[in-house]
Amino acid sequence: MPVVPPTAPGTAQRALKPRTYWMGAVATLAFLVLLGRLYHLQILHGDEYKERADENFVKELRVPADRGLVIDRNHKVLVDSRPSYDVTLTPYFCAKRCPEVVSQLSALLSFEPDELERAQGRLAASRGLARFKPFTVKVDITREELDLFEAHKLDLPGVDVQPTPHRNYRYGASSGHLVGYMNEIGADEMERLNEEMRDAGSSALPYQLGDYIGRRGLERRFEAELRGVDGKKRVVVDARGNAKPESSLIPEDQRFEASRPGLNAVLSIDWRLQEFAEKTFPATAGVVLAMDPRTGYILALVDRPAPDPNKLSGRITRKELEAIRKDPLQPELFRAIQQHYHPGSTFKVVTSIAALEEGVFKPGGTVYCPGYFFLGGHRWRCDKEKGHGTIDLEHALGASCDVFFYDLGNRLGADRISKWGNLLGLGHPTGFDLAGEISGVMPDAAWHQKHIPGGYAHGMSVNLAIGQGDVNVTPMQQAVLYGALASGVVWKPQAVLRLEDAKGQTVKDFPPAERGRLNLKPGTREEVLKGLEAAVNEPFGTAYAQRLKDVKMAGKTGTAQVVALGAHRLKAWQMGYFERDHAWFAAFAPLEAPEIVVVVLNEHAGFGASNAAPTASAVVKYWFDLQKQDQAAKLAAEQQAANGGVPLAPALVSAPAGTAAATPLAAAPIQPVGAVVIPAAAGAPSPSPARARHGAEPSTPSPGEGQGGAASRTAKPSAPAAPGIAPAGGDGAETPAPRTSTPTPGGNRGA
Amino acid sequence: MALDVPLGRLPSASSSGRAFARFPWHIAFLVLAISATGIWNLASASRSAHAPVWISQMWWMAGGAALALAIAVLDYRTFLRIAYLFYLAVVLLLLAVLVRGRLVMGARRWLTVGPINFQPSELAKIAVLLALARYFHYDLEKRRDGYGLLSLAVPMAITLVPAVLILKEPDLGTALIVVAVGATMILFAKVKWRTLALVGCVGLAGSAFAWPHLKPYQRKRVETFLNPEGDSLGAGYHATQSMIAVGSGQALGKGWGQGTQTLLSFLPEQHTDFIFSVWAEEHGFVGCAALILLYFLLVAAALTVAGNARERFGHFVAVGVTAMLFWHAFINMGMVTGVLPVVGVTLPLMSYGGSSVIAVYFGIGLLANVGMRRFVN
Repeated sequence: MPVVPPTAPGTAQRALKPRTYWMGAVATLAFLVLLGRLYHLQILHGDEYKERADENFVKELRVPADRGLVIDRNHKVLVDSRPSYDVTLTPYFCAKRCPEVVSQLSALLSFEPDELERAQGRLAASRGLARFKPFTVKVDITREELDLFEAHKLDLPGVDVQPTPHRNYRYGASSGHLVGYMNEIGADEMERLNEEMRDAGSSALPYQLGDYIGRRGLERRFEAELRGVDGKKRVVVDARGNAKPESSLIPEDQRFEASRPGLNAVLSIDWRLQEFAEKTFPATAGVVLAMDPRTGYILALVDRPAPDPNKLSGRITRKELEAIRKDPLQPELFRAIQQHYHPGSTFKVVTSIAALEEGVFKPGGTVYCPGYFFLGGHRWRCDKEKGHGTIDLEHALGASCDVFFYDLGNRLGADRISKWGNLLGLGHPTGFDLAGEISGVMPDAAWHQKHIPGGYAHGMSVNLAIGQGDVNVTPMQQAVLYGALASGVVWKPQAVLRLEDAKGQTVKDFPPAERGRLNLKPGTREEVLKGLEAAVNEPFGTAYAQRLKDVKMAGKTGTAQVVALGAHRLKAWQMGYFERDHAWFAAFAPLEAPEIVVVVLNEHAGFGASNAAPTASAVVKYWFDLQKQDQAAKLAAEQQAANGGVPLAPALVSAPAGTAAATPLAAAPIQPVGAVVIPAAAGAPSPSPARARHGAEPSTPSPGEGQGGAASRTAKPSAPAAPGIAPAGGDGAETPAPRTSTPTPGGNRGA
Repeated sequence: MALDVPLGRLPSASSSGRAFARFPWHIAFLVLAISATGIWNLASASRSAHAPVWISQMWWMAGGAALALAIAVLDYRTFLRIAYLFYLAVVLLLLAVLVRGRLVMGARRWLTVGPINFQPSELAKIAVLLALARYFHYDLEKRRDGYGLLSLAVPMAITLVPAVLILKEPDLGTALIVVAVGATMILFAKVKWRTLALVGCVGLAGSAFAWPHLKPYQRKRVETFLNPEGDSLGAGYHATQSMIAVGSGQALGKGWGQGTQTLLSFLPEQHTDFIFSVWAEEHGFVGCAALILLYFLLVAAALTVAGNARERFGHFVAVGVTAMLFWHAFINMGMVTGVLPVVGVTLPLMSYGGSSVIAVYFGIGLLANVGMRRFVN
């Protein structure tokens, strides 16, 4: 080995020491770069990184809000939520056994072929971290299936059953078109909606995949209001996503944010009337529409056929959906606003008004009907082949003479008829607040010029005058038209009274909205109404069979031709379904001061008089029965309170609580409270009805005691010191008015 | 070897007492300060793992300190004598690792001898610096105007043989440190400018050539470095989470044991390679600046030792140790803060790991040794 060279001390140092300075300089520079970088990360961008660090460990879980209810005008719940038992699979936990588990589940819960296919697809698609994420394999299993699953749970690793709130349409198809339905949100749609919500500064949480969203009807129209605001639960998680409940990294007050339930939509529908109409209406397809002509609020809306929203809300198989899509009756069509029909003879009121207002026909005037009408070599026939003879407006409307109106139409021309049709709400949407409303057709000469080959011919106004030709109206327009006749106001029809919060406070209400008023010459309305009265109440009237005993109803039948008449008139049963005429009936009652308008359209049913009028008549009658019933219930409640209320004062303090519990009265505590509103000063109660009712009550000897029990229960907070009635009255003022659904007097207390 | 040749006017072994009078206490202080900081920090970092690694780190450090003392007491010319032998032994160990090493996470880096697991690659750094120091000790005299391409062949071979073996394990980080230490010493020995330029060009071309031969994960790391947020849940996860930890420390830090990134295990390798992010998260910019200052002072002290060594071997040993400390610290902190790509390099005296601690203390012992026998005018 080499000899160590004699390096004199210091010689090497002189050469090498300066080089260490260079190294020192490089090192200094390097450390300064590090410092600069740290300054950048920690001082300049520290806030951002702090935020990201916090985001790392805070996992936000959603606490879904309760969707608002849909309730009728009497607070009857039509739509609420129920738990849906959904089966989920987390691929990580079944690992290699997953395909086997899926097929086992499929057998256990009888999957549809497309459900099985979808589950297998999802399984194949989940890789990596997605394996930890549960996905839904079957929604809404039955209780029996749930039991079956529980029994086999141990053989099915990774499978869970999750109860999730699901929309429950209590009356199914009956509320179908109006209420609509919901289903799962799509990815693009979700992005768009979330962006809109962000832009609008909405407080609601963004949608997530798997969320349901209102698709049609009110569910869609009031999606934002019904939805509510989801709550949040924040938990600390580590890098693997394990929750660390013991960690105090999130302050106590930030761990939970309660959800806010959506608003309840209060409909103007009276569900009792709706159910009655549904039951009474014999049609395969058609509409029954009841509206209050004083406000424009819809009271009942039967629209047939309608698919079951419970099915459509994510519970429908491809096959069933296909069947709905292909159904020639088009169940997806909301006929009341999305389909129009020839109004037939129901349109004659428009012709009448136009003729009277334009002065082509004077009140009291007549027309001779020989059974046909000639114009320009064309012959129109009347409904009655022998002719009506000389006839005035009352008889023409009542008996529905066509020739009379051919003549008026001839005198008016299309433009003047159309003008009055428009004023009465035809030819444009009614403004009913749901998507997809069509405007119908109220043709004038210009319209004919544009749309009809060959342009306008005067003969068209003759056809138009009896509601044939090219005029088309939706059932909703028909209701608005007859509502205008009844009240003089062209309403915007509405089905929602208000939106309430969960406590019943009104958040937004929808007051009656006028779109116009009829400004008619004196005598015009009376003249037309006489005809409508005759149609129902005179023996020559077309709907005489449907007259009502207690209420004077005015109405007009209509039979709208669907196909051109042949040489011979055929009976309905002699034609194919889709070639038959539509049956119309539009009516209102009572004639003196109309409270209800009913429009019935029975598609392809033949004559209006026999296939639409009976339903309308029954609905009107039932409505007034309901009114009477509610009135009686209200009266009974008032009297009961007035009766029991006053002598109640001493009993209020002394009555033992046990009395209330023992008395059957306890079941109806609302009544006395609501009734107390009636001033006690009303003094001497009218005892007779109340006594009669108390007679039916075996366990309570004196009315006073029975009342006291109930009242002391409801007035509890202020009871002991209360000097009598006042506090209870104060309470009562806040409580809703007595439920109209209370059974008829006497029936409610017989234990 | 002619070990009995007198080595000029040098203090004999018996005069080591006098040498201790020159013991570089400031270096000892800095080392102990960083070590104590490291243990304190490890105690926080290992909370989430429920493994008190800081205790075993303390044992390693105690062992390391004893080793350093022993090395300091020995005449460093002993190392001059055994440098090549040591180098040869380490190269053999590296070969043994490749054949018989323990496979951990796809890499063979560990050798098991009896009850001890250790990484020969940590020793390779010392071996290379000693071997190069010896080589330059004798060779430098002949190359007063710097090294040319041919004359660089031997020192480059000394550096690259273990580096390539380590790269094979694979352990890119340590290989990089070995090359960096070797390169620093070679540069310290002075290289002709032309040669430097040439080697630079060849190096660039070489890395382009080597690119396809890198392991996929190594390539991924470099790609990720260029765009760390591009794949923040995948390959960029380490870099991203580390930067979040560092940045979220802000000026003063979250406090000892309060680092959420640390506590909830968002930091990968939090007590080894990414230990600095724990420190940065919990002690903020102020803590980081203090730690960097400590490292800077240590490097400066080591350079002073290097500048004042009695002879060439001492110069080169001290420079090698300095280079080792500096590159470790700089590459590690650079990687944690996202200035450099993610490579597995420990932070001296802060990262957990026996082999690393022993290697660093070994170097510190050599440094003290040179410092104690420094040239005094």
